[in-house]
Amino acid sequence: MSETDKSTQNMADKYYVERCLDGHPDNFRYLVRRYQAVLLAHLAGKLGSKDKAEEAAQESFVRAYFKMDKLQKPDLFYSWLLGIADNIAKEHQRNEQIRRQREAVRSFSQEVPPPELSQDFALEAAIAELAEPYRKIILLRYYGQHSCNKIAQQLDMPLGTVTKTLSRAYAMLRSSLQQTERSEVYEV
Amino acid sequence: MNCAEYKELLVAYIEGLLDEAQKHSVAEHLKSCASCRAELKEVSDLHDRLVKNSNTLTQSNLEDVVLDRIVREQNARLKTVDKINASLKLRRIIMKSPFVKLAAAAVIIVAVLVGLNPFKDTVTFAKVIQPILNARTVVLDFIVGDETNGAVMHDVIVGSKIRRTFSNMETILIIDLDNAKMLTLGPADKGAIYMDIQGPLQKGTKSYLGLVRDIVSKIVDNPNIPVQELGEREIDGQRAVGFLLSEPNIKLTIWADLETALPIRIEFLQGQTQTIIKNIEFDVLVDESLVSMDIPAGYTLHEEEQDWSEFTEQDFIVVLQVWAGYVLGGRFPDSISLEELMKLAAEVGQAAEVEQAAEFEQAHQLSISDEEKMQIGMAFGRGIVFFQQLEPSGADWHYVGKGVEFGDANTAVFLYRPKGSDTYRVIYGDLHVEDGEAAQLPK
Repeated sequence: MSETDKSTQNMADKYYVERCLDGHPDNFRYLVRRYQAVLLAHLAGKLGSKDKAEEAAQESFVRAYFKMDKLQKPDLFYSWLLGIADNIAKEHQRNEQIRRQREAVRSFSQEVPPPELSQDFALEAAIAELAEPYRKIILLRYYGQHSCNKIAQQLDMPLGTVTKTLSRAYAMLRSSLQQTERSEVYEV
Repeated sequence: MNCAEYKELLVAYIEGLLDEAQKHSVAEHLKSCASCRAELKEVSDLHDRLVKNSNTLTQSNLEDVVLDRIVREQNARLKTVDKINASLKLRRIIMKSPFVKLAAAAVIIVAVLVGLNPFKDTVTFAKVIQPILNARTVVLDFIVGDETNGAVMHDVIVGSKIRRTFSNMETILIIDLDNAKMLTLGPADKGAIYMDIQGPLQKGTKSYLGLVRDIVSKIVDNPNIPVQELGEREIDGQRAVGFLLSEPNIKLTIWADLETALPIRIEFLQGQTQTIIKNIEFDVLVDESLVSMDIPAGYTLHEEEQDWSEFTEQDFIVVLQVWAGYVLGGRFPDSISLEELMKLAAEVGQAAEVEQAAEFEQAHQLSISDEEKMQIGMAFGRGIVFFQQLEPSGADWHYVGKGVEFGDANTAVFLYRPKGSDTYRVIYGDLHVEDGEAAQLPK
């Protein structure tokens, strides 16, 4: 594989990052387009609702945009973006926790209505719990709509490894989802 | 291959990642194996679930909203950058402008406010200090802050007029307390400015005689005020007897000449601010022209619009801007006190060398009008008065700017509670201000 073949995805990311840094903010659009679903899935699992995930995803993009000059390797935009999203998710979770504590104190015994979960929260939460390499591949494959070949290029690994990792990810998701369903049964 | 091995291939199978031979083999096996068919169903269910969820999420289009937010944030940041750039320009002007001396002059008025009579009712003079009241002239040194580092003001008091000079700047002030007027003289630029000090400034500006008078009367006449005798000590070569008077927030020490009973040194601690009056001499011979409100020969009168009626938060923000943005080059000071502000004012005021200022303005093509410079200088002076008027004990204001960078919109530097307010005003590192409940305040 030649250097350019190796990861056309990453090279494209790098190109857009550099365009943005060159003063063409509109080029950021392509990066948003490419990673929004990935980011949403990533965040929905952590934050529990689509609205919150959207807000956090927007924030992640905006923060990424303004920090782009600090991105050492523009071809690693994706991993870097996920890192930013992780931080923002943490901030949101912390704020949410504080807000709920306050609300609980304020309303004493009053029931606090649970936040509206996203449509398939169980799945998103299961994805969020996956270890990094597995989550990355699931996100790219189903939310980034990348083929396994493309993923192999982007992550710079043999196709066989991608296939194996994907299989393992499936197994993990299934067992995690089964557990959730079981516990829901007991709870009800 | 056994079932376990086939199951391993199922994800790759539905993903279309197997070669023809493998695919065929899996398909054949599935026909005959119910367990693997069930497994396949589960795998493809999960696959469908992932795709479906992805479709839901992909419906949201963040492109426009993200781009929008970026543009808005960009604009906000540019404004901050503009502000900072404008401040930099301002800094050059402030550091070089003779007009800032005015601000420095204002600071000096403030210094008088420090000595504001802390007691509410006034009483008649006690016999022992009768000579003070009759003294027509008094000469003294006045220090705000530490005696060894604090700037010294030298006062010549004749009746209700004061001539004030400073150890750390050239400006001369002549204050006419009866008429609430102040004449500022700048020996460097030979400029003269009259200032109206009516309003709060007039109220606050009292001669030290008045201060001494009130305090001593209190000590002598009011048995309820606990006065502690400090005994005898040598002060500047004179035998003196000392009295200490303490009230919440106030500590006053007076050393009086053992023979004449005249005060020769007064130490005054109010809240966080210490002032010292020393080298006091009564009824010395003074050239009265020193306190003349006429403009001396060789000086030119500058007529300026002035406003000393109000001291606002906005004025104080100018002080922070000058201090953090210019003098300290982008960071906030470690602490803030009247003593430090007075030093700052002197520093800023003294930087104003007229010729340099003109050259500088030319070289940098600065086109800020004299009037604008004046505004900055005035705001700066008023801002210091604003700070001075906050509760001296510091109970209702807090400085938290240590280590904060100028322009940091997320970190508070100063918070205070306006009189009669339940909420605090919080000034941030970029100098924007928010209201805050006590519970949410930093620290």
